[in-house]
Amino acid sequence: MKTTHQLSRRLFLERSFLAASGIGIGSAIGPKWLRGGMLNANDPSGRVLVVIQLSGGNDGLNTVIPIRDPEYKKRRPKLSVSQADAISIPQDLALHPSLKGIAGLLEAGQFMLVQGIGYASPNRSHFESMDIWHSCTTKDKRGRTGWLGRWLDEKQSGQKSDSSQDALAMHLGAEVQPFALAALDVQVPSLSSIEQFRFKVETDPQLSRSPAKMNSGKNAATNNDLLDFISGTTESAVKASDRIEKALKQAATGGEFPDSQLGQKLQVIARLIKAGLQTSVYYVTLDGFDTHAQQPAVHAALLNQWSEALSAFVKFLNASGDLERTLVMTFSEFGRRVAENASDGTDHGAAAPMFFAGAKLNQSIVGKHPSLTDLDDGDLKHHTDFRSVYASVLNQWFNTPAETSLGGSYNSLDLFL
Amino acid sequence: MLPLDWNAVDPQWAWEPWVATTESPWDKPTIHHLYRRIGFGISASEAQRKVEAGVDATFDRIFSPTSDAEYESTSSSIAKSILAGGNLRQLSVGWLHRILNTPNPLVEKMTLFWHGHFATGADKVNDIYAMQQQNETLRKYALGSFAQMVHDISKDPAMLIYLDSAYNRKAHPNENYARELMELFCMGEGNYSEKDVQELARCFTGWEVRRLQFRFNRFQHDTGRKSLLGTKEIESGEQAIDIVLNHEATPKFIIKKLFKFFIADEPTPSDRLLEPLVKQFRADNLQIAPVLRRMISSNLLFSEIARNRKIRSPVDWMIHWMKGLDISGNMQLLSEGLTQMGQSLYFPPNVKGWDGGRAWINSSTLVARANAMHRLVHDGNTRFDKQSIGQYAQTLKIDKPAAWLDHLIDSNLTVTITAPQRDALLESVKSYPVDQSLKEILCRVATWPQTHLA
Repeated sequence: MKTTHQLSRRLFLERSFLAASGIGIGSAIGPKWLRGGMLNANDPSGRVLVVIQLSGGNDGLNTVIPIRDPEYKKRRPKLSVSQADAISIPQDLALHPSLKGIAGLLEAGQFMLVQGIGYASPNRSHFESMDIWHSCTTKDKRGRTGWLGRWLDEKQSGQKSDSSQDALAMHLGAEVQPFALAALDVQVPSLSSIEQFRFKVETDPQLSRSPAKMNSGKNAATNNDLLDFISGTTESAVKASDRIEKALKQAATGGEFPDSQLGQKLQVIARLIKAGLQTSVYYVTLDGFDTHAQQPAVHAALLNQWSEALSAFVKFLNASGDLERTLVMTFSEFGRRVAENASDGTDHGAAAPMFFAGAKLNQSIVGKHPSLTDLDDGDLKHHTDFRSVYASVLNQWFNTPAETSLGGSYNSLDLFL
Repeated sequence: MLPLDWNAVDPQWAWEPWVATTESPWDKPTIHHLYRRIGFGISASEAQRKVEAGVDATFDRIFSPTSDAEYESTSSSIAKSILAGGNLRQLSVGWLHRILNTPNPLVEKMTLFWHGHFATGADKVNDIYAMQQQNETLRKYALGSFAQMVHDISKDPAMLIYLDSAYNRKAHPNENYARELMELFCMGEGNYSEKDVQELARCFTGWEVRRLQFRFNRFQHDTGRKSLLGTKEIESGEQAIDIVLNHEATPKFIIKKLFKFFIADEPTPSDRLLEPLVKQFRADNLQIAPVLRRMISSNLLFSEIARNRKIRSPVDWMIHWMKGLDISGNMQLLSEGLTQMGQSLYFPPNVKGWDGGRAWINSSTLVARANAMHRLVHDGNTRFDKQSIGQYAQTLKIDKPAAWLDHLIDSNLTVTITAPQRDALLESVKSYPVDQSLKEILCRVATWPQTHLA
């Protein structure tokens, strides 16, 4: 079932890439307006953030392992990774054996792990915890926007109109758009695939009109913000569909990426970055980390997918000269319980590490691994709030204020050069 | 229109039965509105028959499901051949046949509601019989007892597999089902503690699946002391389910979800507005039909406040077009289209089901909706009441593209367009032959933002 699904997906992606590359435009040379001087790595306005969300709650403890801590084996009699299999890294830590690609990045100074991340009174619901990571607030104070959405709104209001024809942010995936991207004024397109992002029908001329004009029908009294929302999304779909097709023709060569879903998504993003699309944030998810049962095989496959896709992505952008202005951030809504359960799995936990890849990383291992004995209801305790990590991205990477986006003031960590 | 404030709506007025008046008559637009909400739309001729039948007869019919022998036998033979084929992706074809042809639209609408509520993904369950069996359970209780449904679903093989209860042993309880029973199926997040999750998981230890049947394994059941939500000394999983069902948060949580499904996507209704329904649901021992009838025959549902407050789901959107224009065609194509639009039946995105509302709409799903209509209209198997689109228009006495456009607007849209926009569309298809211009108009109307509202 899975194999055919992936196979057909790969085939059709290849087909669409062939279609895009078959036009025969050289890959390296684009028009000047696309690859102009504004995409300088030291100019934060040309910088890009790629967010990889590991959905379901990644088992941080089997990702970055305190391999010399005797408690580890004690609490995980069946699920612990053996010292022989794990990949040793500094500070008596080790990476899961599936993370060979990432271990290579770490050695090259292109990968950073930030340990012990979480928030006070951790919530073990997938949905509530993910919403907290997305919105930076708890349910009672939550509005309509996510942390990146608020940042995008601010960015757009500070821009001259028409300064870019590209979407400020983009989500790649067939799942519902992550709430982190929800903005008041900025429309963030979601692409399930490039192939599915072409209108077969000639779009009606009225689609490009402003929502206000469209709403002046005979039932004007029934106009509402749902209709405005649909109209705005329709308009941005028409625009983005057009623009992305052009950009992909720009960066036709695909590089070597794994056939996995994440690999194929990161390949599209890599090409869009290389083509000089003026998009600041790309967002993808990798689902399946909710390993309540039969964790070892599932977790290994997912980590491998992440590691292989990410290392291909870094390699590609390093070669194209775009890694300097690209930062990849990986997170999950929570870690998992320290003690394993009866079904070769783990239940919902709390603190976990976050991860960065790029060329401008300050260190390779940030913060201590949380204690395996000083626990909160069986879960690892965080020592650093995730909003401090977000603050570092907004302050240091993008050189922008973070308060509005995070709904408060959080200290930056010194993460980026 | 000002932002909607549910606190400004009088709950007593809201839930009184609606009575037709001269300002707010029982006419075709009103009937289309009702059937968009309680079903998947109806054709213009059917709407005319409902006008003649009257309000009470229509509601009596909606709430007294009838059985149609031919429909049942076709549906079950389709289901049989799909089960024999063993392809999980085909399951949706059988259900779509039901949705499109059912004599009891509310039953299918509610079955779809419960599928999103007790969301179970076929990819993880990976057993076609278990998925089909769950679908039949959801249909059986669609308008019945919520309490009994929760008891049955807690022992449903597909659910047990999906949420790992099948592995819940006393030595190390698995919390997955216990958590979601409280968070997503009954009470809502924030109404229980982490301790409750752990205790409830212990109550369910030993609940297993053997040969697609629920089995209680007493050797794996934790017989120690357990307490849940303030109740001590719990003996069994069944008793624990009753405690969850009797919790005050449960009727509130379900009514709120039904409100969002039938009345308005947003904003979230106030507790004050829902209170009368919550009270009734509790007093009725969580029987669904009576409180649902009150909700959907209410002043509020028929009022202007509730019009255009819903974004159509992909199934709602697609089936509405098909029912409205008597379209039949390749169901496999339809099912693939729905997947691209973000609603793959039997494959909900996660245990929370589909979020609905604005989450249905993004640039990809909008392109997918437009493309699905394009494919359907141009597919060789597609018929309009067993005829070509041109012959169908003739039987409706439609002889001009303009009349076809008006017909589409009247039977499908809730918000129309301006005269210049109408003229521009007609102008752009002027040079096409008749059938092609009718198809083209349909495809373009299906890209309009208005078509996604209900």
